[in-house]
Amino acid sequence: MNVNLAANADNGARVREFLADSLALWKVDGAVETGVLPVVAVIRVSSGATVWVERPAGHDAPWRWFLRWRGPDMREERSRPCASLVGLLNAVRGALGVERGSAVRIVPAPVAA
Amino acid sequence: MIPVSVITGFLGSGKTTLLARLLRDPAMSRTAVIINEFGAIGLDHELIETSDESFVQLSNGCLCCNVRSDLVLTLGDLAARRAAGTVPQFERVVVETTGLADPAPILHALMTDRDLCEVYTLDGVIATVDAVTGLATLKRHVESLRQAAVADRIVLTKTDLPGAQTAAISARLATVNPGAPVLAVVGGAIAPSALFDCGLYNAAGKHPDVHTWLAHEAAAAGGRARHHHQNDITTFCVVRAAPLRAVTLALLLSALAENCGADLLRMKGIVRVTEEPDRPAVIHGVQHVYHAPVWLARWPSDDRRTRMVFIGRNIRESWVRSLLDLLDAEVEDETAQRAGGLAAS
Repeated sequence: MNVNLAANADNGARVREFLADSLALWKVDGAVETGVLPVVAVIRVSSGATVWVERPAGHDAPWRWFLRWRGPDMREERSRPCASLVGLLNAVRGALGVERGSAVRIVPAPVAA
Repeated sequence: MIPVSVITGFLGSGKTTLLARLLRDPAMSRTAVIINEFGAIGLDHELIETSDESFVQLSNGCLCCNVRSDLVLTLGDLAARRAAGTVPQFERVVVETTGLADPAPILHALMTDRDLCEVYTLDGVIATVDAVTGLATLKRHVESLRQAAVADRIVLTKTDLPGAQTAAISARLATVNPGAPVLAVVGGAIAPSALFDCGLYNAAGKHPDVHTWLAHEAAAAGGRARHHHQNDITTFCVVRAAPLRAVTLALLLSALAENCGADLLRMKGIVRVTEEPDRPAVIHGVQHVYHAPVWLARWPSDDRRTRMVFIGRNIRESWVRSLLDLLDAEVEDETAQRAGGLAAS
């Protein structure tokens, strides 16, 4: 079984829509464009940074997502693999300089009297 | 566990009148009251008749910001005095906030303080809204909108006064917070049973009030707006028939916390988990803090779908839906890969 959900066209569109909504959530002014596979999304923000989101084909790669980015003041492109969608979001935030979010905190549930 | 209820509402919306009237009811006789007044000289507490010393006034500022720790200390002190027998054995605490308070940080404090959580449990939020001026207040003051949005019960006050816009404001509140019953009162007269025991757990050990929480979904099914976007407050309900794997739920909560943070005012839901299909998990979060899922013994109705209510600022419904779908697909894909790997070996 070789399911590659993000690499097909339909899912790529969903990923781009999701990333565009993420920019709005983070209050980042930018746009998400289509890329050439394995790039499923190209994020361009008003600060001048560009982020390429790749989805490696097949299951050979030990990661699900691969991120490359370049900021306006960066001489070289940087990259980072991500094992999950949650990791991808964190990596994109970091690449765009969005303030780090709060880690989830689970507190004990109240016990019925 | 002692339930704590928070009464909030904009300035002049009738919080103190409601509380004063409630405390006259014999059912409220074993209630400790904490009133937070903004300003050096508090007046509201003078308007409350209490029969014992289970009453505390906080007048150093607003609970939701600079004196949040005071609430924690005050509740801790009350619990210690109760245990020592120097105050009556109260069975409930009611906290009245200032008119400008954002309830979310207060709920956050009630959920996260380790010592408090051993004694107290959050019951719910009751918001008062003035039927005469409420429509304009909701439009002009985001504090009022947030108070109504996170409430478990909304009390519509002054409905007997000339100029009351009861029908119009009820319709507005139904879009701001479809999950909260709107209860019209005159002079603060309402049975305590209509307002309390609406939390994750209650003293009677009843099921959480999921039917009420999930009125969002009913509103959507009836063609009423399920999504409200005004002054940056958004409320919506996500419904899924297919079960979620436990790890997907954990990843969802993690992503919500990291990406929404303080913008997620409240999130409540009942979840069908793949590993426990006959026992729904009830989840409840404020900002990035969640109670550990509570597993019910059985589904409260024949409806076994996952239903999650989100109340937040600047959070798009499409973002949450895509997040859930993409996480679900990722986990299913990973699970299938691992199963394939095990079969091959």
